[in-house]
Amino acid sequence: MSTSTWLTTEQKAHYGRFLRQFRRNQKAVIGLGIVVSLFVIAIVTYFAPEIVPYDPSATDVPNREAAPSLQHPMGTDDLGRDVFSRVVLGTQISLYVGFVSISAAMIMGTTIGVVAGYYQGLIDESLMRLMDAMMSFPPILLALTIVAVMEPSLNNVIIALAFVYTPFIARVARSAALSVRNESYIEAAVARGESDTYIIFREVLPNCVGPLLVQGSINIAFTMLLEASLSFLGLGVQPPRPSWGLMINSGWAYMGDAPWIVLFPAAAIATAVIGFNLLGDGLRDVLDPKGEIIE
Amino acid sequence: MAFATYLAKRLGFMAVTLFLVTLITFGLTNILPGNVALLILGPNANDASIAALEAQLGLDQPLYIQYLDWLIALVQGDMGTSLRYGGPVVDLIAVRLPRSLMLAVSATVVSVTLSIPLGVIAAVKKNTVADLTASMLAFIGLSLPIFLWGLVFIYVFALSLGGFPTRGYVSPFEDPVAAFHHLVLPASAMGVALTAYIMRMTRSSMIDELSEDYIEFARSKGLGERAVVLRHALKNAAIPVITVIAFQFSYAFGGVVVLEEVFSWPGIGRLTLTAIENRDIPLLQGCIIVIALIYMISNFLADTFYAYVDPRIRYGGSE
Repeated sequence: MSTSTWLTTEQKAHYGRFLRQFRRNQKAVIGLGIVVSLFVIAIVTYFAPEIVPYDPSATDVPNREAAPSLQHPMGTDDLGRDVFSRVVLGTQISLYVGFVSISAAMIMGTTIGVVAGYYQGLIDESLMRLMDAMMSFPPILLALTIVAVMEPSLNNVIIALAFVYTPFIARVARSAALSVRNESYIEAAVARGESDTYIIFREVLPNCVGPLLVQGSINIAFTMLLEASLSFLGLGVQPPRPSWGLMINSGWAYMGDAPWIVLFPAAAIATAVIGFNLLGDGLRDVLDPKGEIIE
Repeated sequence: MAFATYLAKRLGFMAVTLFLVTLITFGLTNILPGNVALLILGPNANDASIAALEAQLGLDQPLYIQYLDWLIALVQGDMGTSLRYGGPVVDLIAVRLPRSLMLAVSATVVSVTLSIPLGVIAAVKKNTVADLTASMLAFIGLSLPIFLWGLVFIYVFALSLGGFPTRGYVSPFEDPVAAFHHLVLPASAMGVALTAYIMRMTRSSMIDELSEDYIEFARSKGLGERAVVLRHALKNAAIPVITVIAFQFSYAFGGVVVLEEVFSWPGIGRLTLTAIENRDIPLLQGCIIVIALIYMISNFLADTFYAYVDPRIRYGGSE
């Protein structure tokens, strides 16, 4: 195997095949479309927040609980704030929470999983028992306990979600690492006298990318659901930030008279989660026909 | 690997895991800011009485001694005294746990009743409009948080159509009819949220079974399509589905933490949130341990059942 470039000819052919299958998979393409659109919205509103029609925290009490109209396409909330502007800006928070927490979980989980799968034995046993223990708590319970002991805030929600999803990633990384551990090219690398670091990074990790990508994409959908639940319970993102879960939390009491306060952020959550689920599902069809991913 | 060996190994793993769970629970809840003695005595307490109470509660001991004391008491069924309610934590949980279990079991029943027929229809009519609709509905079910299903059900069935209470709990021993009325909305909301997984599992394992040779054989014997599907395929497709149902129960039990808040259902989920609000450490520790234990046991049963019926699992390494 060539050591001068990251991709061998064989690997390039492999990625070409992947791209072709991906394009043919409807779920993956629609999912990717939704995810990319959300990203565009988040990035554009981050750099140009004035693009939304109203200041998301500007209250207009005389005009509160106004039904959707041309001025306010999604109505106004209990304080007269424009629901549309808040829903649009909420995209940033949801994506930020999802991406940062899953990236952190990917780094921790992959390290733990690959080390466990590569070294096996006692290291494997102790790391995986720890992961089992973390998975013995319902995700919402573990997340809300971590947030509660550290004070609810955006960053602490991210830390909590990163810990909650690390074991899921670690399990997938471990089983991927185990499956290549006894391949002849690993034996060859050991015989050449390559270091463990070299073998892990150059031989083992590239073979774990597929399953990890699928697991990561499905887990982003889960973190978005969990963030919404935590914010709904008041243990997540704190006001005045326009998080979708938080908007539902504060609009809930007015649901009888002004259902749009809850309806639109709920639809936003559903769209984002459907997008990541479709992408994950499609990626799985393409990358993991055996179905090793944990839901 | 024989099933007995497998079971012994799994039980061993579970004991280790359980020990780690107590360690994580104790560790996490001890990060919680707030002086317990100060919480009990109130803000006007003087330093001497705080020190005296800390000594009495063992809070002046090193953390690992506190952990061992707590663990030994826990093993004996003593979870300490709630700071908020004053009574033993065990008693508080014992009253609320059955309510949460009732909710989780009812939700599982609702989702099984919905999802198995849907899954069978989707598999039999594979790649038709019926299949696509069922699969799409399942996908949407999967994509909304449980609490939102609760809100949707409250809005549609309590606020718009009327007929069901929006919140609260009535004991089935006091008034079975009212109890059922209060149970319908939360159980259906969670049941619908869970339907997606079981439906998808039923669909895919039915599709697998329907492509087997024995189905062709049953058909060629002149057996009606209904009998082929229900008596042969569904029976064999049931194994993975039962496992998923067991997993779903544990998922439902995890979901009660949020759903109970939506419906003001006085179970262990709301008790946990009350414990967090009041910085009631003994109560929080008790709630976490009990929820994790039930979650673990139902997952363990699902795994074990699967390994029992499908020996290939037992050879699949240590997982």
